[in-house]
Amino acid sequence: MSEVSRLAIPARLEEVRHACDFVVEAAEQAGLDERAVYHCQMAVDEALTNIIEHGFAYHDDGSEIEIACQAEPDRFVVTIADTSPAFNPLLHEAPDPSEPLDSREPGGWGIYFIRKLMDDVSYERANDRNLLTLVKRIAARRSAAPGSAGDARFPARALDATAAVISPSGRLDSSTSLSLEQALEAQLASGRTWLYVDMTAVEYIASSGLKVLVAAWRRARERGGDVVLSGLQPRLVEIFEMVGFDLLFQVFPDLDSALAARPARR
Amino acid sequence: MVMEISTSDMKRVQLFEVIGRVDSTNAAELGSAMDKSVDDGKTNLVLDLGGVEYMSSAGLREMVRVLKRVKRTGGDLRIANPSERVREVLELAGLDSIFEIYPTQVEAVGSF
Repeated sequence: MSEVSRLAIPARLEEVRHACDFVVEAAEQAGLDERAVYHCQMAVDEALTNIIEHGFAYHDDGSEIEIACQAEPDRFVVTIADTSPAFNPLLHEAPDPSEPLDSREPGGWGIYFIRKLMDDVSYERANDRNLLTLVKRIAARRSAAPGSAGDARFPARALDATAAVISPSGRLDSSTSLSLEQALEAQLASGRTWLYVDMTAVEYIASSGLKVLVAAWRRARERGGDVVLSGLQPRLVEIFEMVGFDLLFQVFPDLDSALAARPARR
Repeated sequence: MVMEISTSDMKRVQLFEVIGRVDSTNAAELGSAMDKSVDDGKTNLVLDLGGVEYMSSAGLREMVRVLKRVKRTGGDLRIANPSERVREVLELAGLDSIFEIYPTQVEAVGSF
């Protein structure tokens, strides 16, 4: 059986943070990625805050709330047990995120987030306790094996024995940067050290994406090649300028001009 | 330090830079910092979330409350530099269509 870790906190708002820290640590140990860990933290925060604000109505009678984390091979399960009056949060109507500002309800978002952030949420009342169970699926370990699903999302096209075009798309953030890294590494490993990264379809780049580009740039340069960027959207240009990457990389307005500027092969 | 707010009085804008963690224990503090500016008649607000590593719905609630308040008097509350995670949460709540969100503080301040 998988290991369960437990924590009990007094039913007070200022204690919720400790429960968050506890869940973050357990989720990290269970192998969840940074995004999934954040989701678990927020779901637990929202659930505990609801219990303290509504279940106990801020009435601190020394009651405790128990949090249990269980790591299973394919899922991370958090159970929250409290002794406040029976209340099934799942029966409450969720607020509507498409509501315009004027008609927005201030409350109800806690449970909305819990449901959005977790893969499965269930409630039961047992032994005079509310039991809320939150489940986050653990994504299959991403393998670095070539030909894995990650590569497909960022197509690469070899130009010749020394150069390739890589075309990432969408958002380059912590959940997608690994795919880019794999695509770039695969080319470097096969001796192609001139990497033309066409950024035309990239909408957003987070620091994890920037890190991957710099690492590839460094490795390409060590091997006598380069990472050449093209087609950066204005928002990305700005990010690049902010972090000084415009000085590091050769940047061209589009792929054609990047390739046209390619040094003659020796 | 859990959350720190620094307020700068700029020419046309009040800038709030928030660092740390915004949750139900301190969201009201963030709200009242912005309220103070609105009380003084300054209703063009920029909230720089670049240093916010975590925000729960309590923080969002305060942001929406203050936004409603400044909109009534022709002002606005605009957001700068939210982290990937905070941005995702804003999107989940549909707030990305209600707030103007800018990738940098400079752009958010300059947008007024």
